Amino acid sequence: MTEPILEVRRLRKSYDEGRIEALRGVDLAIHAGEFVTISGPSGSGKSTLLQLLGGLDTATSGEVLFKNNRLGSAISLDTYRSTHVGFIFQAFYLLPTLRALENVQVPMLGVQRNGNGSPNRAVRAEALLREMGLEHRLRQFPNELSAGERQRVAIARALANDPEILLADEPTGNLDSTNSARIMEMLIGIQQRRGMTLIVITHEDDIARSAPRHIRIRDGRIES
Amino acid sequence: MAAQLSFALFAWKNLWRRRLRTLLTLCGIGMAIGAFVGLVGFSRSFEHEWLRMYQSSGTDIAVVQQTILNTTVDEKDGARLQALPMVDRATPMILNLMDLTPEVNALAYGWKADSYEFDALKIVAGRRFQDGQPEAMLGDLLAENLKEKVGDTLEIQASPFTIVGIYHGGSALEAGAVILPLDQMQRLGAQQGKVTAFHVRLKPAPSGESQEAWVASAQNAIQAMLPGLRAVPAAERASSNQLVLLAQAAAWGTSSIALLIGILGIANTMAMSVFERTREIGILRALGWKSWRVMLLIQTEAAVLGLAGGLVGIAVGWGALRVLARLPQTASIASASLPLLMISEALGIAVLAGLAAGALPAWRGARLSPVEALRHD
Repeated sequence: MTEPILEVRRLRKSYDEGRIEALRGVDLAIHAGEFVTISGPSGSGKSTLLQLLGGLDTATSGEVLFKNNRLGSAISLDTYRSTHVGFIFQAFYLLPTLRALENVQVPMLGVQRNGNGSPNRAVRAEALLREMGLEHRLRQFPNELSAGERQRVAIARALANDPEILLADEPTGNLDSTNSARIMEMLIGIQQRRGMTLIVITHEDDIARSAPRHIRIRDGRIES
Repeated sequence: MAAQLSFALFAWKNLWRRRLRTLLTLCGIGMAIGAFVGLVGFSRSFEHEWLRMYQSSGTDIAVVQQTILNTTVDEKDGARLQALPMVDRATPMILNLMDLTPEVNALAYGWKADSYEFDALKIVAGRRFQDGQPEAMLGDLLAENLKEKVGDTLEIQASPFTIVGIYHGGSALEAGAVILPLDQMQRLGAQQGKVTAFHVRLKPAPSGESQEAWVASAQNAIQAMLPGLRAVPAAERASSNQLVLLAQAAAWGTSSIALLIGILGIANTMAMSVFERTREIGILRALGWKSWRVMLLIQTEAAVLGLAGGLVGIAVGWGALRVLARLPQTASIASASLPLLMISEALGIAVLAGLAAGALPAWRGARLSPVEALRHD
């Protein structure tokens, strides 16, 4: 077995000066190229876990390691989010003033790297949207797109900086069953083609069971 | 070719999204910069016209008591000045600001009929006045504003003066002025034997000596001979006389207040914008944008607002200067020209104002936690 790409140790997260404990000592290791689903009832702590895995927030105690580097010290959270993980949210979170093609370029604007100059940004964004089957919707604003199309733009955006890990928080939560199936099919296809690590938070059993590894969380602790 | 998103385009789209607010903010900063351009431009054109007047007459040094508005220099000192070896001509003059009609006030000069300063003027109608006579010469701009011509009578401080000549002067300070015989000005002000200043034209500098050194040695010689009087080089006199300093102080004071109001306008716009876009800032942070880059985006928007407002302001200020240059009340001291330096200063101030106004909202935006910002409604 390879070294874990992501590992959490004794992870705790509390709010409201400790009165609310969202995570109560979670240990978890996820390996490169794995497809993992995390499910649990509302308030179980699954979204909090995803936020900590994605470097969106910091733990009250415990640690999150990316390739054995502690997030927030050995590697900055900004750098981690910009280059190593891609996020997909339930509410899409596209920027309303930007067209689909421009939305996909936003993460690229946030990093400076060789060969990622402005002409390449647009070309790469277009290629990603084509991969999502949106070549005819490049110039649409988010409010001109269907919910399924918006989520596909969001997936293209998550892939913009070629991350190693894709984190999806209820990616089908706002979609009908047809679009849900299509989005999950896309995510799994991307994970397999690119050999990425895919972590999906879901409350839908079908989706949870579709992954080779399914983690259940309840009351801030991993059940299985 | 796919459309590429640049940082500047992103900033512009954020501003364009709320057009009305952006427009109103532009108006605010535009008016502030317009006030700056109009007022400071007015004071600088005043200074520039003053210098032009000295240059066109060939005056190198003005010999004055202390302030330009005092007419306290002894006229007899003129003979001693004229006797100095480096002095070509020394001519006495009086300067005053007079109400010619309830609407029109103008600079009034008292000159001797043989003053060398007439050399810079072109008489377009009539003739030069004679000393001792109640005669006046009007600049062509003033004559046009007053609708007076040669042969008409102009009443100045209840004394009738016959207009004997209309002249064209290189400077607006001359074109919009009235020139009276020196003795008549002394009579009007009950200042017999006193003058405001002597204007001195030096002989050419000896070969091998720079003009600056030549003027400096003449200054020293004059001040040594006439203690209590100041010999001021023409360029310095143009920029530091009390009228110009007063105009500059008023211009900067008023402009500063207008700029402060403009800065508050941008600050308010940027603060509201950051508040309304809290979730979007959270998205940017979630996508890996570093704090400083979020700050840079907000500051870019503020700077664009400042720059665009600056351009609007320059247009407004230039328009105001054009109006001032045509109004009878101000035509004698205003010029519609807008130097490049002034434009650069206005744009620089506008951008700095934008950056100053955007600093706090940008700092606040950059400090937002991604999770908190994403939860924001």
